[in-house]
Amino acid sequence: MLHEMSLNINGETYPVVVKSHDTLVRVLREQLGLTGTKVGCGNGECGACTVLFDGAPVNSCMVLAVEAQGHRIETVEGLSQGGDLHPLQKAFVEHNAVQCGFCTSGMLMSAKALLERNSHPTEQEVREALVGNLCRCTGYIRIVDAVLDVAEAGS
Amino acid sequence: MRPFDYYRPETFEEAFRLLTLPDKRVMPLAGATDLIPMVRDEHWQPDVVVDVKGLPGMCDVVEMPEGLIVGAAVRMVELMHHPLVNSPRWNLLAQAAAAMGNEQVRNRATLGGNLCTASPAADSAPALLTLEAKAVIRGAAGERRVPITEFFLGPRKTALQKGELLIGVLIPAPPVGAVGTYVKLSRRKAGDLAIVGVAALAYPHDGGHVWCLALGAVAPTPIRASEAEAALNAGHDEATIEHATKCAFDACCPIDDIRASAEYRKAMVSRIARRAIEGVLAKLP
Amino acid sequence: MKEQTSNPVGKSVPRVDAFEKVTGAAKYVDDMAFGPTLLYGKIVHSPVAHALIKKIDASKALALPGVKAVVTGQDSPTLLGLYLKDRYIYAYDRVRYVGESVAGVVAISEEIAEQAAKLVEVEYELLPPVFDPYEGAKPDAPLLHPDLGKYEVVNFIFPEPGTNVSEHFRLRKGRVSDAGVSDEVWAQCATIVEDQYTLPQIQHAPIETHIAVAQWNPDGQVTLWAASQSPFAQRDLLAQSLGIPHGNMRVISPYIGGGFGGKAGISIEANVVLMAKAVPGHPVKVRMTREEEFVATNVRQSLVAKYKIGCDKDGNLLAMDLAYYFGGGAYNDYGVNIARAAGYSCTGPYDVPNVKGDSYCVYTNHPIGSAMRGFGMPEIHWGLEQIMDRLAEAIGMDAADFKRQNCVRQGDTILTGMTMPNVDLPQCIDKVKEAIGWGRVSKPSAPHKRRGKGLAIMWKAPAMPPNPGSSAIVRFNEDATLNVYVSGQEIGQGAFTVAAQMAAEALGIPYEWVRVSANPVDTKYSPYEWQTVASRLTWSMGNAVKAAAEHARGQILDIVAKYWGEDPADLDIKNGVVISYKSEREQSLKKMVVYGLPNENFEGWQGGPIVGSGKFMPTYVTGLDPNTGQGARAVVHYTVGAQAVDLEVDTDTGQIEVLKIASAYDVGKAINPDLVMTQIEGGAVHGLSSAFEGMFFDAQGRLRNPSFVDYKLATSLDAPREIHGDIVETPLEDGPWGARGVGEHVMVQTAPAIANALYNALGVRFNHLPLSAEKVYLATHEGEELTCKA
Repeated sequence: MLHEMSLNINGETYPVVVKSHDTLVRVLREQLGLTGTKVGCGNGECGACTVLFDGAPVNSCMVLAVEAQGHRIETVEGLSQGGDLHPLQKAFVEHNAVQCGFCTSGMLMSAKALLERNSHPTEQEVREALVGNLCRCTGYIRIVDAVLDVAEAGS
Repeated sequence: MRPFDYYRPETFEEAFRLLTLPDKRVMPLAGATDLIPMVRDEHWQPDVVVDVKGLPGMCDVVEMPEGLIVGAAVRMVELMHHPLVNSPRWNLLAQAAAAMGNEQVRNRATLGGNLCTASPAADSAPALLTLEAKAVIRGAAGERRVPITEFFLGPRKTALQKGELLIGVLIPAPPVGAVGTYVKLSRRKAGDLAIVGVAALAYPHDGGHVWCLALGAVAPTPIRASEAEAALNAGHDEATIEHATKCAFDACCPIDDIRASAEYRKAMVSRIARRAIEGVLAKLP
Repeated sequence: MKEQTSNPVGKSVPRVDAFEKVTGAAKYVDDMAFGPTLLYGKIVHSPVAHALIKKIDASKALALPGVKAVVTGQDSPTLLGLYLKDRYIYAYDRVRYVGESVAGVVAISEEIAEQAAKLVEVEYELLPPVFDPYEGAKPDAPLLHPDLGKYEVVNFIFPEPGTNVSEHFRLRKGRVSDAGVSDEVWAQCATIVEDQYTLPQIQHAPIETHIAVAQWNPDGQVTLWAASQSPFAQRDLLAQSLGIPHGNMRVISPYIGGGFGGKAGISIEANVVLMAKAVPGHPVKVRMTREEEFVATNVRQSLVAKYKIGCDKDGNLLAMDLAYYFGGGAYNDYGVNIARAAGYSCTGPYDVPNVKGDSYCVYTNHPIGSAMRGFGMPEIHWGLEQIMDRLAEAIGMDAADFKRQNCVRQGDTILTGMTMPNVDLPQCIDKVKEAIGWGRVSKPSAPHKRRGKGLAIMWKAPAMPPNPGSSAIVRFNEDATLNVYVSGQEIGQGAFTVAAQMAAEALGIPYEWVRVSANPVDTKYSPYEWQTVASRLTWSMGNAVKAAAEHARGQILDIVAKYWGEDPADLDIKNGVVISYKSEREQSLKKMVVYGLPNENFEGWQGGPIVGSGKFMPTYVTGLDPNTGQGARAVVHYTVGAQAVDLEVDTDTGQIEVLKIASAYDVGKAINPDLVMTQIEGGAVHGLSSAFEGMFFDAQGRLRNPSFVDYKLATSLDAPREIHGDIVETPLEDGPWGARGVGEHVMVQTAPAIANALYNALGVRFNHLPLSAEKVYLATHEGEELTCKA
């Protein structure tokens, strides 16, 4: 079954035709070319496909594209504005919080949602917010530091 | 993923028509956090999925004279933060919601989905058991209410009949002064399934306290530990608590699975029950 | 180009790949576009662990609309393998593990390919399986590879045909025989510990699963796009196996989302190439699901290890009798060299006069055991580093002092007869002792909790053939920016960044002028690199980059020297400017590095576009005696290190919380100290996570936990809050600026350090990984009555 609809992604409206069983991540990557959002498990367990759905992090492999109609979707591609990196992106670069890079997009999106609802999280709160984003490379410490750094700078 | 058709009805009439389409395997869809992996792995092979999030009341939390009505499609994250749920009366449910999965999952997973999956380890179940909630079930023929204890029939089996929908949960307000605690043990600190989950609730009564205790992941369904409750109702000195945890231990019949052996689960029931009881005691005035 | 970092070696300059990765712009294989002719492949996996294939019927699959081809082992019964050619690309006459590739389906969509894969009917005749490597090594065990004696094998691997032993490495040093260490030696021991330790198979679990796209053009040009640590090795293996001229076989590999060894050697890539061969001209994509990644790609080998180790009353190690049985899984084409590495390093980082070591790689009916971060070392150190603690305790010595007293030092004649190169392990031990507060007892956070500290040391040599090569090219642009061509893969470790630093340093130009042209690595255009494995890039690729940069530098100096009429020996390049120490003249590199320089009065020109090339290959590694493992130079070098753990255990539940990990490694020279620290931190958490990981199989050999639901990786909450790292720098003779590798070492001894800390906390030893709260609880509550009424 096909659905002709539009998706609001990073503030832009994209007309799309999706199949009922298409996941949001599939449409983002394969139809719209927004390949910054990664697929790591397809099972809602690794967080590599994390996008913001009306501001809240969700696994886009666990959302049907058709469900996203009428909602605000944000992906890693929408983070930097006008050529400037988002403060979180800058902090990830400065802290060497990136290794292979495959979890990075999802981490950034989860971190963004956290700082939007809690501008001064504790280390514990940062770690809790990132529990759904697996990283096999970094041991998390730089990622947590980067997020805390942005929170502090924003105060 | 095996293809299916998707509908999002806005009336129950339409929903029941879809749910009873002849010769079709039809499944309701709420948060999709169970449905998508189950379809992907072909454990479920629906021809049609019916998104219930557009149905009236499904996403609402309303206080009624008989208690709190929580729509089946209310998400875990909403339970955590909703002013009514996260109030002294129903806060136990908010605690259970917070213990489930991770941020991304709680932003999608719904209370109804957590219950309809009927996993013995469902985090919301012990809380609802102690709160003596009722499942609100609606079918083409009308609405019925089933005590949550009777809703779960076994792993992945519920009292829902074909064509029926769980539309919400009615949670009576516990007596004034009730406090509750949910304690969960899992392999990882968060984002994991329960090896044992214990919800405890107590409220003042007749100069003493009435206790409710429910156990998750240690039997084919979440269970109430009534002997433990009876023991605690008599008092909560150390010997009674010890006895109550022994009663909780005796009430369980866990299995071995990949997450834990039955042996370990048994050992943990009494320990986690004790933590839940002590958590309640710490909150009692 | 605002910032100018001159002499970047030794400085923590930012990663060259970070910007692309934080913006989502970095391309991985699945992000590449292949156009409308792309087809999708799905592998049909064996559902049984060991069976003869009686019949494969693909007619129903082929009849499904949208299916383009089905390939099976009958189409191309060719053997494949890195060190031992022991596996068919698709199973030919038998299957040896649940998950083995039996057929490949190609269709116009992923859905149709999935559906068709289920329609391929395979008839099996079950054979008795072998799951335990120790049992499997016995002469009467069911035989998995009756043709073992016919397989092509490299000259340093010794299979035992007629058994399941695909490699047997023998180490004999001192007063030992095949029967064991001499009784007289044991008689001198004040204490002897004899015990068995085991580890299950575990998975690399990179967040990006294996993915490959292949295209076989009618003209015989074959292209493979793969998430690969080994584009050149894959090209070589595919070319050999499929009879493709190397020049026609092209492998392209962009960024990869984590490797850890799992994407080294060859896995599904040959399967995809054969699918593509069946549909000429079409690219075919296979993306492994997470479940397939667990069972049908590579895993770390399991191990059954038997130790007998003794020391005298003063704590001097006298003898080791070691037998390692690696569970190599169904195919050991790469795994044989893990058993070999474990054999020639079997003592761990200790100087022991009498050693009998036997290291076996044993076929089992489990997934393919292959390279994983540490390559045999985490496995053997698990037991070794606990036994050292037990020996120390038995003679009343502090464990750290015991290890320090016995550890290898420069100039020692180590177990293979090789002289130990320059490393400083005692300093590493001292550093972690200080960082962890060794000997100080910390107060638990609650009455039902216990604190404990543990320490473990390690060594590891790059495990590889004697002569793996690296090469590099540097090429200047008009504005004197430099492109560096390498084929070491950026798998997260920072290879591109250190390549840029080294090129800049060797040439004398600012770091910011360097671009690394290695994404993707393309065997058609990129210089040769053996594989991104063995923690060898900083050292080997680094030497090649340095040589290429020096080659270019020499050309530049020659040109300018002629132009100035000076001796090149008086010239230097500083911060991108050629200077003369003699005449104090200066010449910018801009333009001249492409256009050259005019002679005086414009009478002709000097120079031309500067291109430097460099190579490196170790030439000094010798063979080892097959009966004793003795030889002049077993390995290129060793990296050593120490780690200490501070943890707290909840005695009510058995839950373990690792509070702090302190590490110190002798890296020779930290080219980029902060990147070394990120390896140390990430490795510590990888090591911690691995101590709690295990693949659990049922009695039929089916994996019970093939997803992250039940194969748990450490999360942000499980990782310790405090990870301390110390970098020790004892220069390596043939390392660029003295550098040696550290990528794998950082996780080698974390599990035994945790086990030693658990013992310190609880007084209980754990011999079998994985650790779990359950194991800790049950071990500390033996005899608890657990019969309940219900």
